[in-house]
Amino acid sequence: MKTLLKTEKLGKIYGTNVVLHDIDVEINQGEIIGLIGENGAGKSTLMKIIAGVEKSSMGRMTLRGETYSASTILEANRNGIGMVFQEQSLVSNLSVSQNIFLGREKKFRKYGIVNWGKMNVVAKEALENAGVSNVEPNKKVETLPFALREMVEIAKVLNIVDENSKRGSIILLDEATTVLSEEEIQILFGQMRRMAKLGNAVVFISHRLDEIMEICDKIYVFKDGGQTAVIKKEDANLDLLYSKMVGDNNSSEYYVTSRQTVAEEEILLSVKDVSRFGEFNNVSFDVKKGEVLSICGVEGSGKESLCSVLCGDLGHTSGTIDVSGKKVNLSSPYAALKKGILVVPKDRRDEGIVGLLSIKENIVISSLDRLSVGGIYISVKKCNQISENWINKLKIKCTGIEERINKLSGGNAQKVVFARAIESEVPIVILNHPTRGVDVGAKVEIYSLIRDITEKGCAVIVLGDTLDESIGLASRIIVMKDGLVTGGFDCQADKKPTQIDVIKMMM
Amino acid sequence: MKKNEIEYMKNHSVGAQFKYKIASDVKKEKIRIYAPLILLVCITIVASVTIDNFFSPKNIVNLFYQMSIPLVLATGVTFVLLIGSIDLSLEGVMGFSGALVALLVANTMNSVHLGWLGIVLTVILGTGAGVITGYLHVKLRIASFIISYAMGSIITGIGVLTYKGTPANVTWSVFDAIASESVFGVPLLTWISLSIFGLGCLILNYTAFGKAVYAIGNNEAAARSTGINVNKTKIMVFALCAFTASCAGILACVRLKIGQVSIGVNQLFPVITSVVLGGASLAGGKGGMLQTFIGVLMFTELNNILIIVGVDPNYRQLIQGIIIIVAVTLTITRSRKTITQ
Repeated sequence: MKTLLKTEKLGKIYGTNVVLHDIDVEINQGEIIGLIGENGAGKSTLMKIIAGVEKSSMGRMTLRGETYSASTILEANRNGIGMVFQEQSLVSNLSVSQNIFLGREKKFRKYGIVNWGKMNVVAKEALENAGVSNVEPNKKVETLPFALREMVEIAKVLNIVDENSKRGSIILLDEATTVLSEEEIQILFGQMRRMAKLGNAVVFISHRLDEIMEICDKIYVFKDGGQTAVIKKEDANLDLLYSKMVGDNNSSEYYVTSRQTVAEEEILLSVKDVSRFGEFNNVSFDVKKGEVLSICGVEGSGKESLCSVLCGDLGHTSGTIDVSGKKVNLSSPYAALKKGILVVPKDRRDEGIVGLLSIKENIVISSLDRLSVGGIYISVKKCNQISENWINKLKIKCTGIEERINKLSGGNAQKVVFARAIESEVPIVILNHPTRGVDVGAKVEIYSLIRDITEKGCAVIVLGDTLDESIGLASRIIVMKDGLVTGGFDCQADKKPTQIDVIKMMM
Repeated sequence: MKKNEIEYMKNHSVGAQFKYKIASDVKKEKIRIYAPLILLVCITIVASVTIDNFFSPKNIVNLFYQMSIPLVLATGVTFVLLIGSIDLSLEGVMGFSGALVALLVANTMNSVHLGWLGIVLTVILGTGAGVITGYLHVKLRIASFIISYAMGSIITGIGVLTYKGTPANVTWSVFDAIASESVFGVPLLTWISLSIFGLGCLILNYTAFGKAVYAIGNNEAAARSTGINVNKTKIMVFALCAFTASCAGILACVRLKIGQVSIGVNQLFPVITSVVLGGASLAGGKGGMLQTFIGVLMFTELNNILIIVGVDPNYRQLIQGIIIIVAVTLTITRSRKTITQ
């Protein structure tokens, strides 16, 4: 068995944030390799580096014995490496065959005119080669069901890679099974085995551990950007995988658990039987005053869209949402804010801050109605005072309240967003990945801020960046999987569930 | 709709619901594609029944004659909208080309007479303006509507300077001939316009470039990753749009036999509206030549009807605006994506 690709001490740094480090992976001919880990553990980043989407910042790779790096997907393709992306990269308004040969029409061209008939014939072969027989190459991709689109994408990547390399290709599949049915997954697995048998290698990311154990010869486990274990198929069992995924850290100090408040009786938010068609079904929970509710689940479990429904970004299909005992209609984020729900969004740069405005303006922007006199006049002095207070209190590093917020570091910008949330005095705060892209020091400050908020009698809903964080912050947890609530935990400060308990319900 | 969903939700998994949702989106999309055609057919039937002579050969020929210049312009605009950009320099390029060509063939202003070469030269210069627009858009990363507006202004200015106030009258007999000749009872101008449109069809549907245009409008990142030269394709799209605008300018000059930049005035927005009426999306990726044809025909037909019915010209604009809102409401898809480039 020949080694195709080997990485040594491979790593990736964004700014000051180490997202991947010390990765030693070996991909051999004929192997199917599984990568597992929580969201953000670094699996996708590793794949992207191999596939030429991102550049590594540390370490080196060797491909078939020679030093390798790719700065574009095309370059990786030329080296016989192809990636099937999690978010589909097909062009939906073109036909299947046009997609397969997009950018490679040369061999079907005569006097500039492309012979689509001929292309369709070759595309049909390429599809059959990938085991896809029920797709007409002249159909537009947008008319195909999702599963078939996925198969087309695999056929495309396979064709590109095959064309470039007869020496054993590497196919990277990022969460390829998420949208497939059981039957389709089995077809895909058949294809993966076939590809491996032909002397290629397949690398496979999935959140479904049973799949991983079924198909993979070797499993690499990731945690916090590092590689915690390499497990052979015969040694793999669920408990081992779980324990390697969560590692061993006990960090109650870090999450300021000593200041975790005990929930009061008063229910602030009550979600009853809420469903959003095709995303999540029959979710019910109450959030009490002073409580921190963590919603756990992998990407695609429905927690993200649940969060969007609660903050008024998306509508729901059925069920009711009550705020302080009154039924509310959250038709927009503005309506949600009026009813007392404020969200700190995940994508800070795009959604959380108004980059062109100053720190001051960003702090008061959600409170303008309250700060204004008669709905018109807003006292500059008052705004200045409030902003100064927050900067001092949260130790926001800046040159002054007039500084533009996009000049701040991630952690400081996030503190401004928190200041806005607290200043707006809403009773229910939803924190969507509150510490994403924030360095460790600022994280602790943000955790204690969350404690401040609950001490003031607010209810907080958290979608944590890591499972550790979700448990550490929570006074209660609900777990979602495939759009349904699969369980819940009470998390008194001294009696937290372990990560393994929670992860078992997630995956 | 929502009732169906609630019913379906009762005994299907979330995954199955998701697939159902995608399938129904696909179905909706299929219906949407035919909406402009259905609307066109309805308008035509209503007009044919209620208005005498509307569906007569004479009026149909007249209709195609009226739409000849908009159709040429719309051919280029389709490409620009498909990549999700917009080209506001079209009126300028059209006016400039009309003014220039009048000076390069036999005319009342100067003694230059390059004949057919004058036409070729005009088209080359007009297309060149598009290349510059596209190049600046791509290289300086300036939004297309700003850069094309600026280029339109510049090129209009150059057009005015070529004749310094008094436009030239064309005296070349070929222009007369083209304007008055008919083949099979259809004016030559209409044939020329249809040929340029046909060329557009060929490029969009049968070349790799055409598919690259679709790919960029739908998923630019994916297009880039497959090795399509996105910048070059965009520049070519602006060149193509300027080419059609230039042709339209020459055709307008043929029709009026006078070369002044004002022939381009008030062409831009009717044409963009027509293309959108046909089902193109301002966000890119949606539309096509056939759709554009339907859109232009519909727009021209509506105007034609207003004129035949004898609507007071003072009201025509107002009614036209209302009709556009109604027609667009019935035909376009709504998405959160808006003009971004």
